[in-house]
Amino acid sequence: MKTEKLELVCPAGTPAALRAAVDAGADTVYCGFRDATNARNFPGLNFSREELGEGIEYARSHGSKVLVALNTYPEAGNPDPWHKAVEDAADLGAHALIMADLGLLAYAAEKRPDTRRHLSVQASASNPDAINYYKNTFDVKRVVLPRVLTVPEIAALNREIDVETEVFVFGGLCVMAEGRCSLSSYATGQSPNMNGVCSPASHVRYEDKGNKMVSKLGDFTINSFKESEAAGYPTLCKGRFVTQDKASYLFEDPTSLNAAQYLPELMEAGVTALKIEGRQRGKAYIAQVVAAFRKAADAAANGEAVPPLGLERITEGQRETTGAYNKRWQ
Amino acid sequence: MTSHKKGPVAPLSPVLLAGIAARPLPHKLLQPAFNAAIKQMHRQHPDVFDRLKSVNSPRFLIDPVDLPFSFVMDTLAEDPTLEIVDSDTDERELYTQAAIRGPLLLLIELLEGRIDGDALFFSRDLVVEGDTEAVLALRNAVDGADIDVHNDLLAFFGPLAKPADLAAQAAGNIFKRFTRDLETLSRATLAPLQRKCDAQAATIEELETTVNALKKQVRRRSGKTA
Ligand code: SF4
Repeated sequence: MKTEKLELVCPAGTPAALRAAVDAGADTVYCGFRDATNARNFPGLNFSREELGEGIEYARSHGSKVLVALNTYPEAGNPDPWHKAVEDAADLGAHALIMADLGLLAYAAEKRPDTRRHLSVQASASNPDAINYYKNTFDVKRVVLPRVLTVPEIAALNREIDVETEVFVFGGLCVMAEGRCSLSSYATGQSPNMNGVCSPASHVRYEDKGNKMVSKLGDFTINSFKESEAAGYPTLCKGRFVTQDKASYLFEDPTSLNAAQYLPELMEAGVTALKIEGRQRGKAYIAQVVAAFRKAADAAANGEAVPPLGLERITEGQRETTGAYNKRWQ
Repeated sequence: MTSHKKGPVAPLSPVLLAGIAARPLPHKLLQPAFNAAIKQMHRQHPDVFDRLKSVNSPRFLIDPVDLPFSFVMDTLAEDPTLEIVDSDTDERELYTQAAIRGPLLLLIELLEGRIDGDALFFSRDLVVEGDTEAVLALRNAVDGADIDVHNDLLAFFGPLAKPADLAAQAAGNIFKRFTRDLETLSRATLAPLQRKCDAQAATIEELETTVNALKKQVRRRSGKTA
């Protein structure tokens, strides 16, 4: 069924970024607590309980909603911080909780049934059987789709499920089957799925080697940038590897997703919401990207052409891709 | 000059020229102004320093590449300090955990959250070294704090804030005009050089294509004989 108006779901890593997102026209803002219960557990980032309460109030008074990401997998034998996060987010008035772990979904469905449940991209649910299971078992209202599907695949999926779908349209890319990457664990001992951080900053080093900058993750040199070359994030998937005497990006180039041109087709495909990645980015980035996508989503809703967004300068590697939406591989 | 500094190349700007002019001034003369500035920031934004406690209140080298000096910022939550150090100082003796280098105006924009740190890093306008976790924590702490250097410093002047604001606005206008003039001057000076560089880049590209074609031919031939 065609969507009339796409909901814009925007990231916030700090209260200032939340206000910037709301002021720039976000329908919904997603954020996390300052601990390992969410997948952007970076130093100095995220919300205390008090800040989240104030943020929810600010959003509500401006007609926006707040979603709380609790999308890591609880440690074995230590589910309490995750359970407490469910309780606190619900008490503070979060519109929905974004979760991936079956146990946590079960806990939230049982203890706080009135707070909506969204399935995180970390759950990697990309077929009707999986999604219907989450819907039937935990009454999940929305699923965030992995960034591996084409637009026709999303349309076909939407015909077979009775759950809202949310898709990524802008920001950094994670190229593994979502939520199943061991590269960071291998290099640093910390994983995006358990500790909430891929390639933690504590293990990253940049070294100035005269005419090039070298980036290291743990004991591995993962990239070397010439003086005028645009840099990317220090994740192993975007490392440059030497094969047959040639250094190249084997998994993924440092580049950002930008699917603005597909908004009309995503509406046709029955998508409910558009997700912008980047809780780790500054409020200037949030304000700029959200304002650009507000215009784009409004244009699409009015049946007008999506205007150029002009966001190249702030993207990773200063390059953009349409990712899997236009994939020509299997 | 400041050309021996590490990090991004200093742009030709009023900041660079002012820095050269200020070079003979003894640091002792400038230090009280920076003491007052960090005290004021601490008063107005204690949360910045509180957030940094989680990474043990690091000591940073802040290096505006267009000034002939740098700063060492100690982020102790109770008593942060900002000390001027000469660019020639051996950095190992400063005992800082991390260094952040970039043109002064970009660093101020970053402090105020008007520009995205990751974007500056991708474009290589900003260089970070040392403890990346500390840098990230500082970036996130200042980005969340709604710092406004102009207004924060004006608050320091108390009843004299109004005349200070007028003076700052006048200085700002002169600064903007001067920046434009310098940009024109810099474009005029660099234009012939730029044309030469473009021509050379085109020749290099042509040569690269030829070399790659030759390499391919050689590979194909050696494949056939193998
Ligand atoms: S290494 Fe790359 S693919 Fe793996 S979790 Fe990190 S960003 Fe994703």
